[in-house]
Amino acid sequence: MNFLKGSLAWIEERTGAMAFVAPLMFHHVPRNAKWWYVFGSATLMFFTIQIVTGVCLATVYAPSAAQAWQSLNYIDTEVPMGWMLRALHGWSSNAMVVMMAIHMLQVFLHASYKYPRELNWITGVFLLLTTLALAFTGQVMRWDQDAYWGLGIGAAIADRIPVFGDQARALLLGGPIIGGETLNRFFALHVFVLPGAAIALVGLHMVLIIKNGISEMPKPGAVVVPSTYRKEFEERMHKDGVPFVPDAAQRDMVFCGVCLIGLVALAAFYGPFGPGGIPDPTLINTNPRPDYPFMWLFGAVSLLPPASETAIMLIAPAIVVLVLVAVPFLSNSGERAPSKRPAMVLLALVTVTAIAALTWEGTTSPWSPVMDGWSSLPTPSEFTKGRTPLEMQGAVVFQFAQCRNCHSLDGRGGKRGPALDDIATRLSYDQLVRQVQQGGGNMPAYGKNLDSAQTAAVVGFLSTLHPFNEPDAMTPGAQLPLPSGAATIR
Amino acid sequence: MNSRLLLASLITWLSGCERPGGPHAVQPVAHDSLAWTQSAFNTNCRGCHSQGAEGAALPLMNANYWAVATDAVVIEAIAHGQGRSMPAYLADEGGPFTSAQIVSLVQGMRSLWGAKDGATGGESVAISPRVIAGDAGAGAAVFSQACAGCHGPQGSAGSVIDPLYLRLISNQGLWSATVYGRSELGMPAWNQAMPNRPTGLTAQEVADVVGWISAQRPKQQRVSDAP
Amino acid sequence: MSESKEKSCGCGGCGCGSAPAAASKSEQRRGFMFKVGAGLLGVGGLLTALPIVSYLIGPATKRFSNIWVNLGATSSFPAGQTRFATFLNPIRQPTDGDSAKTACWVRCIEAGQFQVFAINCAHLGCPVRWFEQSKLFMCPCHGGVYYQDGSRAAGPPPRGLFEYAWKVEGDALLIDAGRLPGLEESV
Repeated sequence: MNFLKGSLAWIEERTGAMAFVAPLMFHHVPRNAKWWYVFGSATLMFFTIQIVTGVCLATVYAPSAAQAWQSLNYIDTEVPMGWMLRALHGWSSNAMVVMMAIHMLQVFLHASYKYPRELNWITGVFLLLTTLALAFTGQVMRWDQDAYWGLGIGAAIADRIPVFGDQARALLLGGPIIGGETLNRFFALHVFVLPGAAIALVGLHMVLIIKNGISEMPKPGAVVVPSTYRKEFEERMHKDGVPFVPDAAQRDMVFCGVCLIGLVALAAFYGPFGPGGIPDPTLINTNPRPDYPFMWLFGAVSLLPPASETAIMLIAPAIVVLVLVAVPFLSNSGERAPSKRPAMVLLALVTVTAIAALTWEGTTSPWSPVMDGWSSLPTPSEFTKGRTPLEMQGAVVFQFAQCRNCHSLDGRGGKRGPALDDIATRLSYDQLVRQVQQGGGNMPAYGKNLDSAQTAAVVGFLSTLHPFNEPDAMTPGAQLPLPSGAATIR
Repeated sequence: MNSRLLLASLITWLSGCERPGGPHAVQPVAHDSLAWTQSAFNTNCRGCHSQGAEGAALPLMNANYWAVATDAVVIEAIAHGQGRSMPAYLADEGGPFTSAQIVSLVQGMRSLWGAKDGATGGESVAISPRVIAGDAGAGAAVFSQACAGCHGPQGSAGSVIDPLYLRLISNQGLWSATVYGRSELGMPAWNQAMPNRPTGLTAQEVADVVGWISAQRPKQQRVSDAP
Repeated sequence: MSESKEKSCGCGGCGCGSAPAAASKSEQRRGFMFKVGAGLLGVGGLLTALPIVSYLIGPATKRFSNIWVNLGATSSFPAGQTRFATFLNPIRQPTDGDSAKTACWVRCIEAGQFQVFAINCAHLGCPVRWFEQSKLFMCPCHGGVYYQDGSRAAGPPPRGLFEYAWKVEGDALLIDAGRLPGLEESV
């Protein structure tokens, strides 16, 4: 015992380690800082997991476009626990993004970014950007078809930058094509530059937390007055605060422990992400999708009006970052309680809802044609019964001409165009002919691609698509719906 | 003891199989396996050729079809397309399959859906109208007797001599429709009972009636027949 | 800077009469040394930074020109049809692996008349697929659709498909390929 004490003292005398760590461990935090405050710690824990598993993976992963995909499969199938390491790295990455988002939301709702914690918030914003960059570069490391075409999307966006588009794209890709240098470039970012930046930012974030203390739970009426805040806060902490260890740390430990077990369970059960198909750009039967943290961007890009798309894609990210950085400067004093800041709560709610909705849209991607819908989704039997030979041929033409890739019948098929189950109640025979031949409303014109017999057949088929007791749409001015195979086409 | 068992099972679970995740090698499916056939069919064929009343073209998941169709006829239809609505699936003609894959596909479909006694089709009626010459004159009589009740100009099931319909369907298509029918949709197969024909048609009568229907095509089309 | 302040502070405290003059002399010398040091470091730093920065922006400054690539015999592209063709990118390096493979769509309008389209959608670069039956190109990402001549038919693309320049030499169809197609070089 004495020996142990002696050696500790020996080390302490030479390093001052305890003198350095003790204030960090036992600094006072607000008594009421309860479960709301665990998310930052969980984010840090997942980041630590990322570093450890990442270094492990780097010992086997081959960062070369010619071999990366093979080396991932090797890790998955041959390296002991290799698949589990990849699974931990992948799931922990998603968990880190989620925890960080919750942490940020909590800080925003409680207005903890107000004086004197403006820089805590700003380092946090840059940590968010770094983490998202790590997630994107990590997706590239998988070097499968999603990674390849994801880079293609990045390249196409960079290419749209006015004047320097070509140079920006070359800088992004490391050359004129997506290839070996692209992967190595992203590898360097993913394992050196971005983790280095993240570690530095985490350090800064920590220093600021120690310097400024953890903010109290907001109370209506307890306003932040910059001129007196720090003094009063320190007095309150001194009088009423509790030491970080163990009072606050124990909650962090419980939450992080649960998270860790959850992470291992997810990773063990669902396994690693990908790799998907081999990154051979001549295999075009692919349906590129980004990873979850970017699904909402994929959704947003798809919903932008084409006319202003370029401007929005290039300017919007800069505006978002600017606004995030500006948050503590726009209001750095006054009320912190959410109940006194209804507009901010609404803003947070709208943002979260928008991101959730866009993520959902991105996942279902109703704007994407179902590329094999025409050849894989049969005409449902309620739409084949009682049809004339010409209408049946029309149903065949409907499949043959890939209509099904964008239009659904009985819920199956593309969602890009409207479902056609009851199209005959909405469009008359003549209107259908016009729509098929001339297109419009984001539908290509089929006039040159279908001859009159094919058009007559497919329109004949479409004219039969209505619920039993609902009448056809009438041609304006006509007395009766035209019979199928009507004279308009002949 | 109990905790050791638990640990052991945990380790087995972590290191092993039976989970959506876990290590599994990427193994390409051999194109002569039935699993390949099923998935190739589902992706490329099922949109038109399904089963029962589903699908607008001939149902292929159907033993009656395979009892009549020979491999050679099906292979040719898949490779080079048929009529105006069946595309060519051979890679040389812009399709997705090699000729070996088409052969496997047809053999796979026969073992999936064909008669279990291994009948390979090839009843005389399977020979296409390009081989049995039909007599349009004789066909007219057969048509008015066996078909016109439903398919004549006033027929309840819609005319098959609608010029627009005839522009879309090949002679082979007419022949297939007559031979296989769509029993779920009320159209009998060639050897099933029809109005005035309790035992259906003979092979020659099928050819005759197809010949007669084909002769009803508008004049300018007859040269090219069915493109 | 802070060091010199400390020193002068210390001297002021000790109160020796002759010290200030000597100190200011050594301070001057030290100030000069500091400037020289800063200058040398600056020059050295610049000299080091120059190759590093040039290296990093190299991809943007190096010019790559396209090269004529043989797509095969013209007879493999029947008139009136659009066929898939692949080639190895002429601008490639040993570590590219499969990513050096490139695909394109070749449309033979009539014998000797071609259009060769890049596989990349003009919207965000996803690989478009040709549908012979409806004579349309469709993109799986955001639903861009193009007619058989490559012109935009529907969806978000701001323009038609990118085209490669082509020529026929002897029996072979050649295209001018290499760089990932982008807005700079195409009409």
